[in-house]
Amino acid sequence: MATGPLALSARGVRMEYRDRKADTALVAIEEMDLDVGDGEFVSLLGPSGCGKSTFLKIVNGLLLSSAGEIKLRTVAKGREDAMVFQDAALFPWYSVLDNVAYGLVCAGVARDEARKRAMPFIDLVGIGGFEHKYPYQLSGGMQQRANLARALTVDASILLMDEPFAALDAQTREVMQSELLRIWNAARKTVIFVTHQIDEAVYLSDRVVVMSARPGRILADIPIDLGRPRELDVKRSPEFASYESQIWKLLASQHQRPAIGSPSAEA
Amino acid sequence: MTYGVDTGAAGAARLGGAAAAEVATYRVIRPRSRRRRSPLARWYRRNERTVLGVTGLVTFFVAWQVGAMIGWIDQFFFSAPTEIVAAAIAEVQVPRFWSDVRFSGTELLIGFFASLVLAVPLGIVIGWYRRVSFTFDPWLNFFNAVPRAALVPLVVLWAGLGIEMKIIIVFFGGFFSIIMPTVDGVRTVDRQLLDVARSFRASGRLLFTSVVIPATIPFIVTGIRLALGRLLIGLIIAELYAQTQGLGVMIGKAADTLQSDRMMFGVLLFTLAGVVSTEAIGYVERYLQRWRPSLDLEEGI
Amino acid sequence: MAAGQAPVGRPLLRRVARLGLANERIFYGVLGFVGVSLIWEITSNLGLFRRSLLSSPSLIWGAAAADFGSGTIWPHITTSLTEWGIGFVTALAIGIPLGLTIGTFRRVDYFLSVLLSGMYSTPKAALLPLIILVAGIGLQSKVIMVFLLAFFSVVVSIVVWVHSVSERHLDIARSFGASRWLAFRSVVLPSTVPFVLAGIRIAAGRALVGVVIAELVSANEGIGFYISFFGTFLDTSRVMLGVVLLGLFGIVLGEVIRSFEKRFDVWRPEIR
Repeated sequence: MATGPLALSARGVRMEYRDRKADTALVAIEEMDLDVGDGEFVSLLGPSGCGKSTFLKIVNGLLLSSAGEIKLRTVAKGREDAMVFQDAALFPWYSVLDNVAYGLVCAGVARDEARKRAMPFIDLVGIGGFEHKYPYQLSGGMQQRANLARALTVDASILLMDEPFAALDAQTREVMQSELLRIWNAARKTVIFVTHQIDEAVYLSDRVVVMSARPGRILADIPIDLGRPRELDVKRSPEFASYESQIWKLLASQHQRPAIGSPSAEA
Repeated sequence: MTYGVDTGAAGAARLGGAAAAEVATYRVIRPRSRRRRSPLARWYRRNERTVLGVTGLVTFFVAWQVGAMIGWIDQFFFSAPTEIVAAAIAEVQVPRFWSDVRFSGTELLIGFFASLVLAVPLGIVIGWYRRVSFTFDPWLNFFNAVPRAALVPLVVLWAGLGIEMKIIIVFFGGFFSIIMPTVDGVRTVDRQLLDVARSFRASGRLLFTSVVIPATIPFIVTGIRLALGRLLIGLIIAELYAQTQGLGVMIGKAADTLQSDRMMFGVLLFTLAGVVSTEAIGYVERYLQRWRPSLDLEEGI
Repeated sequence: MAAGQAPVGRPLLRRVARLGLANERIFYGVLGFVGVSLIWEITSNLGLFRRSLLSSPSLIWGAAAADFGSGTIWPHITTSLTEWGIGFVTALAIGIPLGLTIGTFRRVDYFLSVLLSGMYSTPKAALLPLIILVAGIGLQSKVIMVFLLAFFSVVVSIVVWVHSVSERHLDIARSFGASRWLAFRSVVLPSTVPFVLAGIRIAAGRALVGVVIAELVSANEGIGFYISFFGTFLDTSRVMLGVVLLGLFGIVLGEVIRSFEKRFDVWRPEIR
């Protein structure tokens, strides 16, 4: 449902790792074209190693692609993108407040000012009152909330989320999914969310982009029409189940035969 | 690891802007530039560490040599690489040198193996029986804190100034360095592994050979690596203290007679011994620790 | 703890076992200490071995009382402490920044790698005759020896720790656009602090070794000298006293630094 200007537009993105000694190339991403509209919640879903995290890292600037271009819509203030990492995401030597403020400090904002700006986001994600605690004193779910708060604080227009709930137990994970939607509604960012769990992708997103195993390609781009706002119980609805099984079949078919037209062999 | 973000050329230019930005501007992220590199440059990048390391080493010796020739470095005390090589060539042709080597080598080997043979079984017993380890912990920790060299006069009181004394000093150097990690290793055998073995009704002996010993071996090897330095120091100090024969004595006597080239040759021999033994043990250690994170035990020589 | 099969037949031991693990450790520790001391004292007094070989706790205590009372031992203690202090602190002051620099700049690390590991693997004791030749018998030669031993220990261990800073933490810094200097201050430095403290503890021990070996070989003051001097006079009690003093110093030092280390335990990044 991309209305208006695109937040992100990727064309022909390819990622190769060259092994100099063996003189072979490992293709992480074969070719990706992706458009994400302003304010959309898009999931990248696929098996491990399919390049979805790699794509996020290229957008964030942590990696340089081998080919292709990505356009990010510039914003008046703040960064274009901010990453929410999977785990080990907070510095153990900083308090929660300093961790959340860290993104701004990196951008050159004075520490006191950064802390002031971080506080409302700490409240928004639901860990108000814990700002002076240290990460080891927080549960896994709370640490990820702080992680999210840090990305929100830098006021980026695009949030890149790399399997942020993967290290959490099942119950906490569900709670966090619901919380994420609540926060997203309040903050109205564009989100690119990487996961390998089908139900998570369907529950959270406006669109689910399904990727193949390595070398990564986009298999399908499925709009999710489940209405907003979504409660957790939508996961039990028949429409939800049909989306899930549609995606599941798509991924399962990957194992039986190589995709048509693919020039590369499976490892 | 590259620092900084390569965004390539800046994004498209702004058109005349209205307050409500209807025209979107974009930042473009470009791929990694592919420069064709010459084969030489590519080879250098692959072997950079070796190239620079060797360069560093060569620079050191060249600077030494030049410094000695110019006079910045007092050749009297420090000698010069060329002199040392000449002294080395002369020295290896003298039979006394080889008897010194034999002497020191014997002291080293006997002391080392004695310490190994005693420290490992003892360490395993102490580590395994919890209450025994509690009992001996204070003593072990105490003797570990004492620099082994401080025991030299005591050992001289016991064993005189001959080769036995030196072997005992070398032994002490090795013993405490090996027994501590061994005790540690036995104590920290993963509970779960033990439980698994016990649930299969493994007898005490089988438990030992299949779980405890393999788990402890990396610790023992680490202990040996730590011991190497202590062994060599023990050897040198024992020989300098009670000068009879050996490479340490050769260094001491060369210093006394102001033959700095022979002295440095001796020092370099010990460097060689230290480097070779450390590398060898490090190799074994890395091989054994493929499957576990490395123990953070670091000691110098 | 590895479970042992120690026989707990006797009622007393069973009662002790019920006190809990921590208390058991203290109980057996004290038992071991006191027990061995008692056996030592008794066998010595029974003449089972010559006093000159091992002395006895009471004799050592007597020697301590005499030498501390008369004050003759203090110059030796202060000399050794001074030598240790100057060499150790200098080694830290130069070694810690140097280690951080080498660890951060890859090319510098490569250039110095062979030299550093060569000097690290050299038994510094082999340089003693050279040092004494150059710097004489007095304070300087001891300080140099202490410095050498502590310096290489600190530098090498810091380089290793800087290299093992969590990649994930560095990624986070880069992701938010931190400058190289900010990344160093906010990630590398805090990451290495707990390990630097451990490195300092180890270097402190090496420094003590340096004091002793330098004083043994040639000196006229210091605990090392004290031990060797009374060794030549067959005064075993004083020799043992010196050894005990060194051991105590080492243990106290280790515990003090360890207590600092504990404060930073929560700073340790998770091992990935």
